[in-house]
Amino acid sequence: MTRSTLISRIFDTSRRSFRAAGLAGLLLGGAGLAGCGLQKDIDVELPAYPAQLVVEAYLENGQLPRISVTESVEYLAAPTPSVPTDVTATLTLPDGRREVLRFAPGQDRRTGKLYTHLGPRTLAAQPGQTFGLELTDTKGRRVTGSAVVPVLVPIDTVEWVFNDKPEAERRAYVLMRFQDPETPLDYYRFQIHRRRVNSNPEVEYTVEDRLSNGTEYTLGTGYDFKRDDTLVVSLYHLDRPYFQFLQSVQDARNANGNPFGQPSAIKNTVEGGLGVFTVLSYQRRQVIVK
Amino acid sequence: MNLRFAFGLFFLASLLLPAVALAQARYTLSGLVKAAGTGETLPGATVAVPALGLGATADATGAYRLELPAGRYQLLVSFIGYQTLTRDLNLTRDQRQSFQLSEAGNELGEVVVQGSGTLKDKLQTTQMSVERLTAKEAKLLPALFGEVDILKTLQLKPGVQNGGEGTSGLFVRGGSADQNLVLLDDALVYNPSHLFGLFSVFNPDAVQSVDLYKGGFPAQYGGRLSSVVDVKLRPGNPDKIGVSGGIGLISSRLTLEGPIKKGKGAFLVAGRRTYFDVFTRQINKLNQDDPDFNPIPDYYFYDFNAKANYKLGEKDELFLSGYLGNDAFSFGSGQGFNFNFNWGNRVAALRWSHAFNSRLFLNTSASYTGYKYEISNKLDQFSFNLASDIQDVNLRSDLDYRPGNGQHALKVGITATAHRFGTGRLRAGSGDGRLNLGSDISYLGQEGAVYVSDVYNPSEKWQFEAGLRASGFQSGGQQYGGLEPRAAARYAVSPTVSVKGSYALMYQYVHLVTNSGASLPTDIWYPSRGSVQPQRSQQVAGGVSWLLGDGRYLITNEVYYKWAQRQIDFKDGAQLFVNPDLDSEFLFGKGWAYGNEIYLEKKQGRTTGWLGYTLAWTKRRFPPQRGTSGINNGDTFYPNYDRRHNLTAVVIHNLSERVKLSGSFVFSSGQATTLPLGRFAFQDIYGSDASAVPIYPQRNTYRLAPYNRLDLGVVWQMKPTRWFPESDLTFSMYNAYNRRNPYFVYFDQVKDEQTEQVTSYRARQVSLFPVIPSVTYNFKF
Repeated sequence: MTRSTLISRIFDTSRRSFRAAGLAGLLLGGAGLAGCGLQKDIDVELPAYPAQLVVEAYLENGQLPRISVTESVEYLAAPTPSVPTDVTATLTLPDGRREVLRFAPGQDRRTGKLYTHLGPRTLAAQPGQTFGLELTDTKGRRVTGSAVVPVLVPIDTVEWVFNDKPEAERRAYVLMRFQDPETPLDYYRFQIHRRRVNSNPEVEYTVEDRLSNGTEYTLGTGYDFKRDDTLVVSLYHLDRPYFQFLQSVQDARNANGNPFGQPSAIKNTVEGGLGVFTVLSYQRRQVIVK
Repeated sequence: MNLRFAFGLFFLASLLLPAVALAQARYTLSGLVKAAGTGETLPGATVAVPALGLGATADATGAYRLELPAGRYQLLVSFIGYQTLTRDLNLTRDQRQSFQLSEAGNELGEVVVQGSGTLKDKLQTTQMSVERLTAKEAKLLPALFGEVDILKTLQLKPGVQNGGEGTSGLFVRGGSADQNLVLLDDALVYNPSHLFGLFSVFNPDAVQSVDLYKGGFPAQYGGRLSSVVDVKLRPGNPDKIGVSGGIGLISSRLTLEGPIKKGKGAFLVAGRRTYFDVFTRQINKLNQDDPDFNPIPDYYFYDFNAKANYKLGEKDELFLSGYLGNDAFSFGSGQGFNFNFNWGNRVAALRWSHAFNSRLFLNTSASYTGYKYEISNKLDQFSFNLASDIQDVNLRSDLDYRPGNGQHALKVGITATAHRFGTGRLRAGSGDGRLNLGSDISYLGQEGAVYVSDVYNPSEKWQFEAGLRASGFQSGGQQYGGLEPRAAARYAVSPTVSVKGSYALMYQYVHLVTNSGASLPTDIWYPSRGSVQPQRSQQVAGGVSWLLGDGRYLITNEVYYKWAQRQIDFKDGAQLFVNPDLDSEFLFGKGWAYGNEIYLEKKQGRTTGWLGYTLAWTKRRFPPQRGTSGINNGDTFYPNYDRRHNLTAVVIHNLSERVKLSGSFVFSSGQATTLPLGRFAFQDIYGSDASAVPIYPQRNTYRLAPYNRLDLGVVWQMKPTRWFPESDLTFSMYNAYNRRNPYFVYFDQVKDEQTEQVTSYRARQVSLFPVIPSVTYNFKF
């Protein structure tokens, strides 16, 4: 039987809709918040918050290791980036060798990402191998993490279907199929970019195989694409810590400004600081919607 | 807990009681006290024999009982707001005698406010920590959008907090909203709110009264930790067909009542529906050609209440109560996205009341209650349906016995409930049938209890109440149970001063699954099973009551301490929807609550009302467990309904024969809330602009600004006309001085208008309701 997990996306849509529904419902009897002067700036006194090291490290097979190390700040602090310059980053390879990543801030042209530390050589990462990361600074802070390379889950098919509207309004939805492995606790991130992958994707959501492990999955979009659109469809296979980190980031963002939201602590994949250390395992297909 | 022993105890008591009854010699006078015209029973009415200095107070069903030696007597039947009735009686045998009291009208210059009898009754009863409100009383007070809500009125009583601006949820003495046992004519109601908690499901036209027990719980109640909200529907008019209703700002109500058969029974059917969807649809229609217009979602709710009673004979009467309510929300973007969300309760209860004799009564009932929500979502060709429900079937039997010496009031009972928990049903698929996914998770559970209790009056000074409840629950092959002792005592220091104390232990076997911090329609109920064990709490309370001003004022001071084990919360980011392993998402901890409640009330005269002040603390602690650091890193924290100070004042003044003024004022300390203390920049795997991620290292460490609000109301009774002999206009001014009370606070980015660059961050406070005037027209014929 063909299986689909639109669930995460629809859950996500439902959550957003539900919040919108709740707030809209509340507002029906009253009036628009801003329109009635029901919002105002206030001064808040927050307890002191000590800065922590924040790492974003996404290793990829065949790529130079590039990681970014920043610092968290008090929420109402000035929006100036806080980049510590005294952090030593050391990568532990699967064979136990340790490589120091040098502090060399720059921008990765391929992904558009800013980084602070750069590895000396391209990485060879095979599924099942474990990498380690250690950050230390002159203040005595130490952040550690390890990451296992997920197996590659290939994309089986990418197809699209146009609706019946006149040509000027005709749009297509895209379906991507893949086979979920028999192993439990698999997580996926589905993205569709237009042309290039170094910007925000057009479509993005995460799914898990909790409800139907080991079956064929079909991930889809709405009627979002026109004829001749060039799309890059990506399927990332995530491990559980990275998936939970992404979820917690989303939950933490949603809690700010949502009276019904419960604040969510960030589920870091590293210890001693904040952030994520993982090895990316993904497959991409470029298609032109004809 | 040995359930077999408890059942044995119950049946032994059942067998022994009639034998004890035969040994009594004095005669019993019993019956009902009702309002003439409406047939409404009058709980708290007094039936007195002045010659003997004896009297009795009608209970919650309006029934009274008096033990008297044979002889001729003059009886006085009285109740606040009604004309006192005098009757001669020759008592030669056990006798049933009912009375009907006529309303006092305005010649007494009193506001007609019912209460739990007189303040003197309240002084003398052993029962403490209980508040009674009638719909009549609630209707005199100003209300949000003019929608009278008896649960929201209870929030004006000391020891009761609300869950947020305008919401009807009750947080009683540090308990959460799911720890209230909400009963409608003895049948459980799982989600007693409409419109995301803004209104309760109880139509004020159909409700007679509500009793809120905050502590000292009688043994017949169980299954929830923190409170009992016992709502009684009003019986229909037994004498004539009547129609009443109201037209308000957002809803209209209509009630039909009348006799089923003269002298045999009566019925009442009440319905209401909101109608802002009528207006929003028109607005959407007018703007359908505007591409920039966002359609307003469609929302309405309706509910129906029904009650019927029928006398089968001198000793038997049947009562049938029902509730049906639904909320419907829908949204269509016009761009392939449709969202429908429906939720509602169904409640039905059939009760048979049998009087073996004038001292022994049996009430047996069967009830059904169900709550369901369903979300249907359509996104282009994909459809999605999520639903959850809970259904209960309950049987219960209660035996009341009052021996002839008048020193005891015994009660024994048994109850059994079959639960079905549909914690998640999911259907997802595509229109072409190529995609199809489903999941259905449900559990069964059985709950039972037996209890015995006695109110013992050894002397004028002392009165004791002792009870024992044995409860049990099973689900998934696991059994739980426990003994729940209840005790209360009253000592009359003087005719005007009483000292009271109480103790109660409670178990809760079903749990609300929510991590929203508020009660929402999507909340799921989950049984005790697996690692989820029953919640347990104990409460001790002590107080003193002092009758002042010739019985016109009663001042009560109560202190309480409550401690609870196996309290539940959820992991950060818990997956609560359609999770077959929901058990693993729970976290368990402890809770404490303590405080002092001062309450001054006045129930007679042209000006009535009350003043309440509560000083309270509520704390919770969830230590590290299940691979998490617990909540708040395992440190003690305040839940968001913790309020240090809470002051309420309610005044109702009878200005003239036709005009009543009312006002209520609330002040409470700021709500505990969680704000992010820090943030970090997150780029993610693609190279877009970094965005800020909030960091919440602590729970509820920030306090919103204090809350205060004044509401004003006027009830103007209009001159009788041929068609509408009774009608009034009720004006309400919610938040009269237009205070911007905080609803929540969030952090926002400030951007440069030209460059769109973030220049700073700021804190924003959102308020929900400004001043809201409203008018409601009520009629009756």
